[in-house]
Amino acid sequence: MINGKTTFLNEVASIPACDKINECVQCGVCSGSCTTAEHWEYPPRKIIAMVRSGMKDEVLNSNSIWYCVSCYLCTARCPRNIKPANIMHALEAIALKEGYKPPTKTTTMYRSFANSIEKNGRIYEFGFMLDYFLKTNPFAALKMLPLAVNLLKHKRMPLLPKSVKGKDQLNKIFHNITTGGSR
Amino acid sequence: MEPKIGVYVCHCGSNIAGVVDVESVAKFAGGLPGVVVSRDYKFMCSDPGQDLIKKDIKELGVNRVVVASCSPQMHEPTFRRAVQEGGLNPYYFEMANIREHCSWVTESPKEATEKAKALVSAAVRRVYYHQPLENKEVPVHPDTLIVGGGIAGIQAALEIANAGRKVYLVEKEPSIGGHMMQLDKTFPTLDCSACILTPKMSLVGAHPMIELLTYSEIDNVSGYVGNFRIKIRKKARYVDAAKCNGCGTCMTKCPVKVDSEFDEKLSKRKAIYTPFAQAVPNVTVIDREHCTYFLKGKCRACEKFCERNAINFQQEDEVVDVEVGNVILTTGYKLFDPSPIKEYGYGRLDNVITSLEFERLVNSAGPTSGHILLKNGKEPESIALIHCVGSRDEKYHEYCSRVCCMYAMKFAHLLKEHVHGAQVYEFYIDIRSFGKGYEEFYNRVQKEGTVFFRGRPGEITDVAQTPEEKGKLIVQFEDTLVGKKRRLPVDMVVLCSGIEPHDDAQDTAHKFNISCGKENFFTEKHPKLDPVATMTDGIFIAGCCQGPKDIPDTVAQASAAAARVLALISKGKVEIEADTAFIDEDKCSGCRVCNLLCPYNAISFDEKNKVSRINEALCKGCGTCVAGCPSGAITHRHFTNEQINAELEGILV
Repeated sequence: MINGKTTFLNEVASIPACDKINECVQCGVCSGSCTTAEHWEYPPRKIIAMVRSGMKDEVLNSNSIWYCVSCYLCTARCPRNIKPANIMHALEAIALKEGYKPPTKTTTMYRSFANSIEKNGRIYEFGFMLDYFLKTNPFAALKMLPLAVNLLKHKRMPLLPKSVKGKDQLNKIFHNITTGGSR
Repeated sequence: MEPKIGVYVCHCGSNIAGVVDVESVAKFAGGLPGVVVSRDYKFMCSDPGQDLIKKDIKELGVNRVVVASCSPQMHEPTFRRAVQEGGLNPYYFEMANIREHCSWVTESPKEATEKAKALVSAAVRRVYYHQPLENKEVPVHPDTLIVGGGIAGIQAALEIANAGRKVYLVEKEPSIGGHMMQLDKTFPTLDCSACILTPKMSLVGAHPMIELLTYSEIDNVSGYVGNFRIKIRKKARYVDAAKCNGCGTCMTKCPVKVDSEFDEKLSKRKAIYTPFAQAVPNVTVIDREHCTYFLKGKCRACEKFCERNAINFQQEDEVVDVEVGNVILTTGYKLFDPSPIKEYGYGRLDNVITSLEFERLVNSAGPTSGHILLKNGKEPESIALIHCVGSRDEKYHEYCSRVCCMYAMKFAHLLKEHVHGAQVYEFYIDIRSFGKGYEEFYNRVQKEGTVFFRGRPGEITDVAQTPEEKGKLIVQFEDTLVGKKRRLPVDMVVLCSGIEPHDDAQDTAHKFNISCGKENFFTEKHPKLDPVATMTDGIFIAGCCQGPKDIPDTVAQASAAAARVLALISKGKVEIEADTAFIDEDKCSGCRVCNLLCPYNAISFDEKNKVSRINEALCKGCGTCVAGCPSGAITHRHFTNEQINAELEGILV
């Protein structure tokens, strides 16, 4: 707390899986293990340092957190058990909640993915990709056409969606997640 | 004599008085049964504080004393002495801990004051029933046992032996020397490790006051401070130490080659061997597991060629009984084995080696005669030294091993010296160069051109992504000071492994009745003020068995342990606490439950009278037998039922 206001660090540290962020020794094993860090604006170690310095806008406007592919190598190797991957995902959630516009299409991808699951209870690849390309760049879909044809040929991508049983229960779960749930 | 109790409540500056309302506690105590005087004072442990007690004993006839202050761990002896100087038996004293148990751990002043009152009330009711007890004195045997013949054991043995006292130095390996003998140079002075150690080793070997028992282990320990009885197992060497003159003919004739433990398996030794050329004693030993004669029943080449008939295949383990007054444990450490860290590839990737392997490689008496070579026989052009391997990591060891930063920098220096034009990189998290001349050495290594990257590498791989990386080991890391992830191709990677306790540290601790901490290092009596003694009187510890430390710290601690032992020897006797248990023989049913329960082997069974008896010198006053006795025949002096019930009553009213 600074002058009665919650700091960015406190906000992050109060999220259950991110509570050890204060214990980071900045050794950099997370960045050294990260499979995509070459493309990050700031590597994961630096993101943690920036959170601790209260650089909220810089962190949430960067592409970094969105490039985490959840391979969890950082988390497996972290000597202080900080769980950097969890912190990246928590930061994503804060960015979305607070309306940050990150310089990446990943958010749209996440949204289309979630929509598809919400609708069918499982991933419907054809509809999900269609939705994603329509929202971003429809022409980019053309590049994927050969792959789509191949998948269709091998019956790996059904054209029509299949739904799961007991969708009402799934909807309840979704409802609870989005509204914070009721106990 | 009607008890007249004096109660003294200590402020301990603001440590207690900052939370507890000491005046109201003193006032409360004044109203308790039997209390004739109650006071509060700023520092009871100070001389004026102690004088208060003495004065009240003389002037007011106080004959029981309660001090409400800190933990008895520190000042119980102080106040007992004050009570004794006032003319009372020192056991007419009770301490209420209102600091560690109260003011330091209770936030609300109101609650803390209530608790302090309850603790004082308990102490007052307890001291009412105290009885006068006499401490016992037992003689101290002037001989000393030292377990572990590394630099710590050698140093302690020489200190004690040079004072004219006899030392039994037990070492499990065939020679003394320990890990220090394996090292090439020592930081930061770059003294040749063997050159400074071997003179001490030969002094030990020749010293009239040191009985060296190598290739030996401790079987059993009994007794107590001043009077330990130790059974030492001298493992069969199959070589008569009295006859062998260390000529080495047997070693040249032996046909069996075995990985050398001393050279970290980088060279071969024979099945009959000494670990290294300067071994003390210079007596060979036959490795039964690999000897052809023991495996197949024939060979005996060593026997045929030995001119002094020293080989004896019939030799058996011999158990030696010794009596000593004190014991120093200097059992040392084990290097962390980095193979569980899969991402560093130790054991999988050629040319990823540990620090001890590097020490042997760089040593002129080592397997490559001091040439640093890759597995393919070529010299490396670039070398990565990785700090904190297995240390500062919750998955392996949380602690810092304290020596790795410095030995890594020593390696960097040696590499520059041994490999012309070598490019050396150090990968560190924090540089810890805290000793005398250490920071200066760091600076020297920087000047020599070693590049320091701040970042713990994520992985080491041989999978090349670019032509330059082909055939190299690639260190993948973030240069955290630049904030960029990088891949750095090198020829050799040295993993600077940390220090860990031996696998059998717990067993050793159990044998000597001391305890191990969370990480299995032996626990010292006090982490700040008594890092040499243990909770068991007469058992001292020194060196890395107590915690990671470098050579100067180890030598200092070993000398300190020796000084403590010599102090006990020169005093000639030790006082033993009077709070021991005793058995009422009329009540004892002879069931022998207590015999098995006693952790100190202090209880024996009298076959003639069919009752158990407690050896008071061995009894530590733990109370286990008292609780275990089904007949209620055992009483614990100073912890009688009466006293404990009164104490409980005092807390509960």
